[in-house]
Amino acid sequence: MRNIWTLAVTVIRDTARKKIFYVVLLFGLSIISISPLIPTFELGSQARFLRDISLSLTSLFGVILAVILSINQVPGDVGKRTIYNLLSKPVSRLQYLVGKYLGILMTLAIILFVMGLEILVLIYARLQVFSPVIFQGVFAVFLESAIIAAFCLGLSTFVTVPVNAFATILFYMLCHVKTGFLHAKLIDEASGGLVKIASWTFYYVIPNLENFNLSEQVGYAGGVSWTFLARISGYALLFAVLFLIIGHLVFRVKDL
Amino acid sequence: MGEFAVSLNNIRKSYRLGFSRRRVEAIHDISLEVESGKVFGLLGPNGAGKTTALKILLGIVFTDEGTGSVLGKPLGDRSAHHRLGFLPEQPYFYDFLTAEKALDLYGRFFGMGREAFKSRSSALMDMVGLRRDSHLTLGKYSKGMLQRFGIAQALLNDPELVIMDEPSSGLDPLGQKEVRDVLLRLRDEGKTIFLSSHQLSEVESICDSVCIISNGKNVTGGPLSELLEVRGVDRITLEGENPEAPARLEPLSVKVEQAEGVTVLEVESAGVYRALDAARELGMTLLSVEPYRRSLEDLFLESVKEEPV
Repeated sequence: MRNIWTLAVTVIRDTARKKIFYVVLLFGLSIISISPLIPTFELGSQARFLRDISLSLTSLFGVILAVILSINQVPGDVGKRTIYNLLSKPVSRLQYLVGKYLGILMTLAIILFVMGLEILVLIYARLQVFSPVIFQGVFAVFLESAIIAAFCLGLSTFVTVPVNAFATILFYMLCHVKTGFLHAKLIDEASGGLVKIASWTFYYVIPNLENFNLSEQVGYAGGVSWTFLARISGYALLFAVLFLIIGHLVFRVKDL
Repeated sequence: MGEFAVSLNNIRKSYRLGFSRRRVEAIHDISLEVESGKVFGLLGPNGAGKTTALKILLGIVFTDEGTGSVLGKPLGDRSAHHRLGFLPEQPYFYDFLTAEKALDLYGRFFGMGREAFKSRSSALMDMVGLRRDSHLTLGKYSKGMLQRFGIAQALLNDPELVIMDEPSSGLDPLGQKEVRDVLLRLRDEGKTIFLSSHQLSEVESICDSVCIISNGKNVTGGPLSELLEVRGVDRITLEGENPEAPARLEPLSVKVEQAEGVTVLEVESAGVYRALDAARELGMTLLSVEPYRRSLEDLFLESVKEEPV
């Protein structure tokens, strides 16, 4: 555990050096810039609208950040050969991969938490409405970003950066459209056997990222239950672990 | 003979390259053994397979065939890494960390206590002459400074085995001497040193044994004293020059060299007395007679030139 933690802290240091934390400033400016667009109807609707649109923006930033943080961790260390010195120490390849992932998660958590605070402050400053429920939505974005980061990091152990970027974007899109499209194919009587098998495989093998879209619940309802949050946390954990295991199975026997 | 700190037995390693996944043999068949407490040099021309062999020892690449051990553990067993130190050839460190932070990072992997780490890192930074610059990020270090830092981090855990890839790379003559002194100190402390180097004079001065590889195969190897000694040939050093000397001594010698009042003969052992008699008759004074020992450079060039490139 000590090695994993040490590597995770190093990822955060590297991120700080690359000034990725500045993204929270960019995010703050983005939501401030959209606030004049808020329709001038009743106060409750304005707050709901602002929560909804801020969360959508958070989700976009979260996924982009997850890809930026994950895509070059392993290829960067291999390319610069810094990995040689790390693996010559008593650090296993599994510890290395998990340490990198934990560092990415911690960075995402810090950035998304600050983004949540920004939304909270903006809504309060603009409308004098206190909306701590926004953090439920931010937490769901964190879980979604965690899955994307695990997919991207796992893939980065055996594909090049451009291929990984393309595959991750494709994966993200597939994970969002699958609920509608694949489910329709599954229940469509007209679908052939092969289409049904493929639909079934994709439907159950790839995660449904729509589970983490709480814009409606957080924006327009009173939020979600703790049980629901625990359930989507378990769901995210399951897929994150699966993608890391796949990455590790390749990485553990890879010549560096 | 003591136990082996490192052993490689009939190692074979190939890589697949390019889009066609063409197989390229990096190591055809390498075997070597390094006794504990000895200094071992792995030599070979560029592309001979030295770096691949080091990577195999460190578990960075995996063998196709063959077996081996590091500090009694099979290849790839990470538990041996608690007891070894590694100096990479190039400055492969996180350049955004200061030297202090980078040492701290590596110290944590070894589970060093804070007090033990502080005293050890402080002593090492003093030893490599970087204490004054330890607050600078490694990105600001010169190549020589990075090499010194590399030595410090390689010794952080007080390792039993130190694996060094070109330890003098990028250092000026003064730095090279300091590295040599460090290596000699480690040898005196009973550490096992496995070094890959192109600095043949450095290897010759500190190594107990060497292995020369070329084209991924062993060419020659063994204790340096045995490898450099040419059996059956002695070297006679005489004081004085005589114009008749070449004509008299060349038929009795393998080689005759005269320079600055000193004549050096390489003579087959059976003919030493005849050569000495001839030298006395020429009025030359005997300075020494010793078994002929060639230089490591001679051995290296002889060994490697026979190998097809």
